[in-house]
Amino acid sequence: MANFLGLIQNENMKIYRRNSAKVFAAILIGLLLLGALIVKLNAPEHPTQDTHWKQSLQQQNTQYQQALTQMKDNDSYQNYYKSQIAINQYRIDHNIAPDRQMTLWSFVENATPIMILVISIFTIIVVANSIASEFNTGTVKLLMIRPISRTEILLSKYVSSLLFSLLCLVVLFLFSWLIGGLFFGFSGGEAHLSYINGAVHETSWVLATWQNYLLDAVKLIMMVTLAGVIAALFRNGGLAIGLTIFLMMGSNTILALISQYDWVKYVLFTNMDLNQYFNGQQTRNDMSLGFSLIVLAVYYVVFLGAGWLFYTKRDIKA
Amino acid sequence: MGINTEPQKQPAVKLEHVTKKFGSKTVIDDLSFEIYGGEVFGFLGPNGAGKTTTIRMIVGLMRMTKGNIFIQGHSVKSEFKQAMRQVGAIVENPEMYKFLTGYQNLVHYARMIPGISKERIMEVVKLVDLEDRIHEKVKKYSLGMRQRLGVAQALLHHPSVLILDEPTNGLDPQGIHDLRNYLHELSRKEGVAVVVSSHLLSEMQLMCDRIGIIKKGKLIGVETVSDFMGEGEGKVRFTVDDGQSAAQIVKQKLSLDAASIESDAIELAIEHEKIPVVVDTLVVSQVKIYGVVSVTQSLEDRFLEVTGGKSVG
Repeated sequence: MANFLGLIQNENMKIYRRNSAKVFAAILIGLLLLGALIVKLNAPEHPTQDTHWKQSLQQQNTQYQQALTQMKDNDSYQNYYKSQIAINQYRIDHNIAPDRQMTLWSFVENATPIMILVISIFTIIVVANSIASEFNTGTVKLLMIRPISRTEILLSKYVSSLLFSLLCLVVLFLFSWLIGGLFFGFSGGEAHLSYINGAVHETSWVLATWQNYLLDAVKLIMMVTLAGVIAALFRNGGLAIGLTIFLMMGSNTILALISQYDWVKYVLFTNMDLNQYFNGQQTRNDMSLGFSLIVLAVYYVVFLGAGWLFYTKRDIKA
Repeated sequence: MGINTEPQKQPAVKLEHVTKKFGSKTVIDDLSFEIYGGEVFGFLGPNGAGKTTTIRMIVGLMRMTKGNIFIQGHSVKSEFKQAMRQVGAIVENPEMYKFLTGYQNLVHYARMIPGISKERIMEVVKLVDLEDRIHEKVKKYSLGMRQRLGVAQALLHHPSVLILDEPTNGLDPQGIHDLRNYLHELSRKEGVAVVVSSHLLSEMQLMCDRIGIIKKGKLIGVETVSDFMGEGEGKVRFTVDDGQSAAQIVKQKLSLDAASIESDAIELAIEHEKIPVVVDTLVVSQVKIYGVVSVTQSLEDRFLEVTGGKSVG
């Protein structure tokens, strides 16, 4: 075990001592600053206080109701409108006005999807390089002739890559909070409203944010694992990075094209967004959280098995 | 620890009928030999003969199709960790992490084997004479410095088997001299089995106790360097006015067959003491002698002879 910690230390050293680590940090913090700056510059200087917000929400809800009857066949739209109607109703009932302006926490929330996508790309780069680049540089030879199994080496590379994304999430949380606070004020912002199983709940923003992160991390872990498998198969980091990012970005387009088929619910990409079960915006009603978790688990085990075989069972000719 | 190459009870490295196939092509064909502690073993062969493939199988980078390899009695196949604990190696070029310093590279490898102290790392650094530059990034190192860092990582854990692929590559004459002395010291004093492959044959002549020659995946022979050289000795070249008639005279009067006949010279495979007899005979038969030289073959000539005159790699 002490040996395995040493391996993790080694892989960490190889991740953070590279120049790319500094670039990752700069992009992460730079993007947050840029986002906050754009929002700040585009915000109206004197936001109009909407005193009739309850009426506006009421109006919105009747529109949504109409949309609901028109969109009978589409689970995704149905669920979206239902959740919005419920949250609007909750605001009216409990006298919680929607924010007219960006607040610290709405900034944190708005930054989450794009920043987690960025972190996913970083981690895909890290894991693909960690697994494949040593074959290109030839360092894999001196790495593999130690009294350590290839399984342990692969595991240390995988674990340290996931630790890297965890560190990125912590940096994201701290800096989006800090930058959000500096730009939009540390005070303000009411409770977070979430719609789960047909009911609206008030939760703390910190919890809601981390719940968001962790649910998005499921997609991140699946894509990072896939990148690792491709890197182990082709021993080519660039190919693994390109292919995985292409699949990640293109998955929505591909899914839209094949959404009418029933077997789509078994496709990896359909099941990766677990947020849909927590924000009431489920894309297909013939799926559930349990279903998605089982599908993901099957894919995950297949990925791990394939990656392990590709990495440990082949000759090293580098 | 033995002073020379006398076989000890257990071979440090033992290859048993090792065969490697890439698809249907046999790259290594039934290779068997043993290397003992306390000797420097040279591994020779032309390009593509299978030297590197064999070394890769010894250190577990490649799997063998048939056969087995034992390091200090541990099978590379079934007891990989125990076997590798005994091995320090450079396979082809010593590729290190260029974005790390030399020291960080050594720490990296030290973490992979329990019980290597900071003191041991510095000891090895001192040994390869890199103290001044060890905290610089490897990308700033010259080829010779990288080679020395490669030797350092191979020695960190006191291996009992040291495998060096082309170790003198990029070293200056002083560096080669130092390395040679150090390898001798390791094998003689600490009983380490050193396996060296090199295309510098004259270097091998100075460095190795025994030499194994491999050609097209087959082992042609394993001999001590002195035996290897000895086979080529005993030829004497007589430069004369007429090679043909000189050869006839020696054949008739001394019943000796010339090893080679040229228009102005013959070569005879004779012992040292017989040279005056031949000279006398030739002089009496009125053959003019312009020179008598004993021909010693270099390892390189011998190597070319054995491997069929192919280019050396």
